[in-house]
Amino acid sequence: MTTPVTIPQDLWDEDDKTGSIVVWLYKDGAEVKEGDLIAEVLVEKVTLELLAPASGTLRIKVQPEVVVNKGDEVAVIE
Amino acid sequence: MQLTAEQRKGLLRTMALSRAFDDAMIALYWEGKLPIFQFGAGPLPGELHCSNGAEPVGAGICAALGPDDMITADHRPHHVAVARGVDLDRMAAELLGKKPGLSQGKGGHMHIYDPSVNFASSGIIAEGMAVAAGMALARRLQKRPGVAVAFIGEGAANQGAFHEVCNMVGLWKLPVIVVVQDNEWGVSTAKSESTAVERNADRAAGYAMAGEWVGTNDPDDIHAAAARAVARARAGEGGTILEVKTARLTGHFMGDQQAYIPEQMKQVDPIPPYREKLIREGVLTADEADAIEAEAKARMARAMAFAKAAPYPEPAEAFDHVFAGEAA
Amino acid sequence: MSRILTMSRAGREALDWEMERRPEIFCLGEDVFKFGGIFGTMDGFGAKYGPERVISTPISETGFIGMAAGAAMAGMHPVVDLAYIDFIGVCYNVLLNCASKTHYMSGGSVKVPMTLLIGTGGGYNNAAQHSQCLHATVAHIPGAKVVYPSNAYDAKGMLHTALRDENFVIFLTHKGTAGVGWMGTPIKTTLSEVPDEPYTVPFGKVKVYREGRDVTITGLGMSVHESLKAAEELEKEGISAEVVDLRSLVPLDREGIIASVAKTGRLIVTDEDYLSYGVSGEVITTVTERDPGLFRRPPVRVTTPDIPIPFSRPMEQAILPLAGRIAEAARKLMA
Repeated sequence: MTTPVTIPQDLWDEDDKTGSIVVWLYKDGAEVKEGDLIAEVLVEKVTLELLAPASGTLRIKVQPEVVVNKGDEVAVIE
Repeated sequence: MQLTAEQRKGLLRTMALSRAFDDAMIALYWEGKLPIFQFGAGPLPGELHCSNGAEPVGAGICAALGPDDMITADHRPHHVAVARGVDLDRMAAELLGKKPGLSQGKGGHMHIYDPSVNFASSGIIAEGMAVAAGMALARRLQKRPGVAVAFIGEGAANQGAFHEVCNMVGLWKLPVIVVVQDNEWGVSTAKSESTAVERNADRAAGYAMAGEWVGTNDPDDIHAAAARAVARARAGEGGTILEVKTARLTGHFMGDQQAYIPEQMKQVDPIPPYREKLIREGVLTADEADAIEAEAKARMARAMAFAKAAPYPEPAEAFDHVFAGEAA
Repeated sequence: MSRILTMSRAGREALDWEMERRPEIFCLGEDVFKFGGIFGTMDGFGAKYGPERVISTPISETGFIGMAAGAAMAGMHPVVDLAYIDFIGVCYNVLLNCASKTHYMSGGSVKVPMTLLIGTGGGYNNAAQHSQCLHATVAHIPGAKVVYPSNAYDAKGMLHTALRDENFVIFLTHKGTAGVGWMGTPIKTTLSEVPDEPYTVPFGKVKVYREGRDVTITGLGMSVHESLKAAEELEKEGISAEVVDLRSLVPLDREGIIASVAKTGRLIVTDEDYLSYGVSGEVITTVTERDPGLFRRPPVRVTTPDIPIPFSRPMEQAILPLAGRIAEAARKLMA
């Protein structure tokens, strides 16, 4: 089963703002557990936390320093 | 000393210009820094501490001063600099790191110097306390007139320098006015969490200084208190701690989310109430007030255009000005 | 082990682990309760440990850093956040005359175990009063240990070591390396795989980031990462650079420096602190005192010159010891 990792709609307030992943805290292919902190997302000067929505193998789809919007799929967990 | 209608219009004009300055800088700040945040990028790199909300303090105090008087400001200097008449074009250019800036791009927004109007600022909290007192001491030794005014925040009143300097000002009856701008917050720390007394003005008693407290963030009231303090200083009666309850509407610095400020502590913009007051009291019409605000924005637009068009300093100029008396 | 951390998160993990187990540790500094310190080292600690152990102070550095020294003398281990090293000016006596010297002056009868966390460095246009490194200024004080990790693995291990040390430890982190959002995207070479369990990294040992044959490049803090960038460039040109992170100034691993220069015969010392009377001179002297014959060519310093940090970007970028300047120095040394 594959679970997409998306930028949650409520990660930040303003819908018109965009963010970027600043760091993946696990390597591509690493085993993660549901609820693990897997990435930091930066919106302006504020760091936000992205949690694993499921347990499994992390497959990173969006690298750091790429603009992301709410709802974007940035990884999957297999 | 009662302000004339013209002087009160001038206070509104000063506040509007200061607000226009900060609003223009805020509008520019994120350019080039987003969408992938980079602190040092864009036309206005680095930190930016804006004065929105504190305009009445700069306007009210500076209107009570004369050309011989001297000012030190802190890391949030724009409203004081604008009120003092620091060259607006060159100040804007300095914030953008340009060659025609007040400091030729060496200082940036926390380090505004304009000796032509006796204005200096510093990014180190409470540093200006002693510098102002020293300026006053110099005038005494030179047998020249001049009152020195140190603009600090309420957080700075807990620095050792504040207390050491106040003692000497009281001891030597120096013509120094310490303007404590109480905007309630030192970064995220509320005054009640940092300060043992409710009012810093009360601390004056411990240093044989006069204490003045203004609770309104209204430039008329601030000016009245400043005029009393200046009169005492000029009469040789010594210094004053003048505390004003003011506001910090745009956070400690750009990007401050201010999530630590509870709803009931949200602050009020002081400019619209003053504008309304002047209209109510027949000092000016709404159209005249609109015209003042429009002129402020137009003046700032010219300053920003000057700053943007100005060239950057050459990299090698970094080596100039380390010492006086050398070619540069 | 696959978990990657920023320096900020790694340091926080070490402090959290020690605080959970040792009631004598408490945190002190401006805005630490709500903001968790300049690098988030105490992020969330206010809620977890409460206001008695995570104390937000007034802007009164002379007072609260002096109080930390007093608390240390009375059996506690304070961890103090001083934000920017530029601010040591207002509390320097505590560093210079009290925390550093009490153990000696008391003939060893009074210990001052405290950890002072300080941010250093520029490169982001914050001008002369918020961009300095000044590590030589504090490393010059006898009785103060000074450490300076440049990656997440060392940040955690060295903070464990600092918190278990019986002395006054000045724990420096370059703002640009910490991996905090307000400084932008973290530099990749600051990120490390970090074990969950606690571990220590001893003070006084250099870290060789990459081995090389032709030239030794020493760095600390941010200049390590600029040196690594330069080394990558140089490799493409056939120059093999060895990048050595000093990471601990007091004690300094003199043997580690000498060993690398003995191998390469060439030395570039990078340092974001001012040129004169500082670490760069100390590193070169360390080799020279052992054997000037180790140098096949005269050593070179790539540092911030002896000028205040200018605000404007073109000027600041020109004076910092960035990769381009380091690589250029290496090319000249190899020519």
